[in-house]
Amino acid sequence: MIREKVKTGITGLDEMLDGGLIPGRLYLVSGTSGTGKTTLAMRFLMEGAQNGERVMYVAVDEPPNEVRENMRSYGWDISRVHVFDGTPDVMSYDKTPVRDVSTERRVQYFQDVSKEIRKTSDRAPADMTVNTLQEMLRQEMKERRYTRMAIDSLTSLRYFYIRTSEENTSLISFLRVLSDLGITTLVTVQLPEISKPDVEAHIARGEIRLHKWFDGRGLIRGVTIEKLRGSKHDDRLRSMKVTTEGIVVKPSVPMREGTGADEESAEPPPPPDEAPQGSAQGQPSQSPQEIPKDQAAGIQGPSETAGGPKQ
Amino acid sequence: MTQDRLSTGIEGLDTMLGGGLIPARPYVVSGTTGTGKTMLSVQFLQQGVRKGERALFVAIDEPPSEIRENVRALGWDVGKIRILDAHPAAKAYSKRVSLVEVAAQRSVGSLMEAGPSQKTDAMKKASPELSVQSLQLMLRQELQETKYSRLVIDSLTSLKKLSETVEDINTSLRSLLRFISESGVTCLIVTDLPDPTQLEPEIFITRGEVRLHRRLAMGKIDRCVTIEKFRGSAHDTFPRPMTISEKGISIDPRKRIPKALLRELQAFTHFA
Repeated sequence: MIREKVKTGITGLDEMLDGGLIPGRLYLVSGTSGTGKTTLAMRFLMEGAQNGERVMYVAVDEPPNEVRENMRSYGWDISRVHVFDGTPDVMSYDKTPVRDVSTERRVQYFQDVSKEIRKTSDRAPADMTVNTLQEMLRQEMKERRYTRMAIDSLTSLRYFYIRTSEENTSLISFLRVLSDLGITTLVTVQLPEISKPDVEAHIARGEIRLHKWFDGRGLIRGVTIEKLRGSKHDDRLRSMKVTTEGIVVKPSVPMREGTGADEESAEPPPPPDEAPQGSAQGQPSQSPQEIPKDQAAGIQGPSETAGGPKQ
Repeated sequence: MTQDRLSTGIEGLDTMLGGGLIPARPYVVSGTTGTGKTMLSVQFLQQGVRKGERALFVAIDEPPSEIRENVRALGWDVGKIRILDAHPAAKAYSKRVSLVEVAAQRSVGSLMEAGPSQKTDAMKKASPELSVQSLQLMLRQELQETKYSRLVIDSLTSLKKLSETVEDINTSLRSLLRFISESGVTCLIVTDLPDPTQLEPEIFITRGEVRLHRRLAMGKIDRCVTIEKFRGSAHDTFPRPMTISEKGISIDPRKRIPKALLRELQAFTHFA
């Protein structure tokens, strides 16, 4: 019997996943840049923190102070999310001995992250490799009981923490250790615009892929479940939006790839005075009077058959 | 509460960015040749100088004297922009001379003082090697002495080609950008258009990408700009028309771009 599923916190996505993720497993969140991977991962962690779970965000791409600032634009309180700063130091090219990073870095709450970026010590930079990260996470998990974790991103680990010759073996080892921890884990992966599957796709128990493209009227977003072991799931491309509240997935709205035209009509664009200004990532930031009416409708994505603007 | 934003010096671009750039973070300006990347960067620096900030231009593609000529032709007063001449020197190709520490050789001058391209003592000394690593060392020295708020590296594409070993570029590039962030400097990195089949590390480790496009049709160049990514901020997701005149770059965030140009752009955004 499979335990109760873990909710991602995004209602429409949970529906697509037939209730959520199977607990204790490792999943990928993939997509090109700016598709919303970090936002999705953070929403997943917040969902756990709100239920009183202990959850951890492992920062590899962006320093924690920037992540916290970025999430503020959604009005989210991520203060109770634990964070581990896994961003590497500035390299000093002198021949000074490198210190073991595990003596330097501790897991902390996001609320305790300093406003400024952590500065590389003048004495010697700390050495951060995929192996040290792996061991530190294993140690931390042994000491405290976490239920959710997000690694953001595996792509940075691959590019900046591993020598090219050892790339695949180190990554497989890292993912294997993560899987064995028995924690529901989301690992973000950045894809090039034209991509082919990589090792991580085979190891993960599931993959949520985020898409975006231009349909001639504006930016369209969608989400697919590429794989989900041990559970039935939605196999269609579904409409996704990034709003001031975060990610919204509409499983009732199937899409045709490339066109962005929804088969059903989405809700009409908000009246000018209700439209958010300068808050949500991915939303057009200018006030609606600055966008021609038909374009504004294009963002909302109604199909031409549903009365959308004829070009 | 909104964060303080840093103006790019181009009003329309600031509007597209939801007010401007978030300070102390690195960004990419990408595009093919002739799209206006250098001009946009100089405008960004000039805006800083106008506000009394210190601004530094790292010249790798063109020697400083040429950049000065080019922007002077626009009638801009760019004298206060500081420039680090990292333009590769003529190679000596003589046998086995030890490498010279590049930091000891380069100096920063104001764009005003940029004279004719300095002749290298190639006959006497080895020419210094420029790499991502040596640029970090050079900048460390410069940033220790002078407090800059804006920095441009023009271009990373050339810098990467000059750096010898591919294996180390990713890590040293990450380190360079980290160093710039820790110094509290807002940085624009100029690059060529990224290869859609490759994941270029500078694209995913920076916090945003402004992409410039151009298309020649019916004897006229159509230009536009897109914000490909901007972390932590609302931004315009539409391509907007851009013009280059004697006043520099201007962008109209209320206008739409010609259909033909849009179709060409669509060919770039592939649906996986």
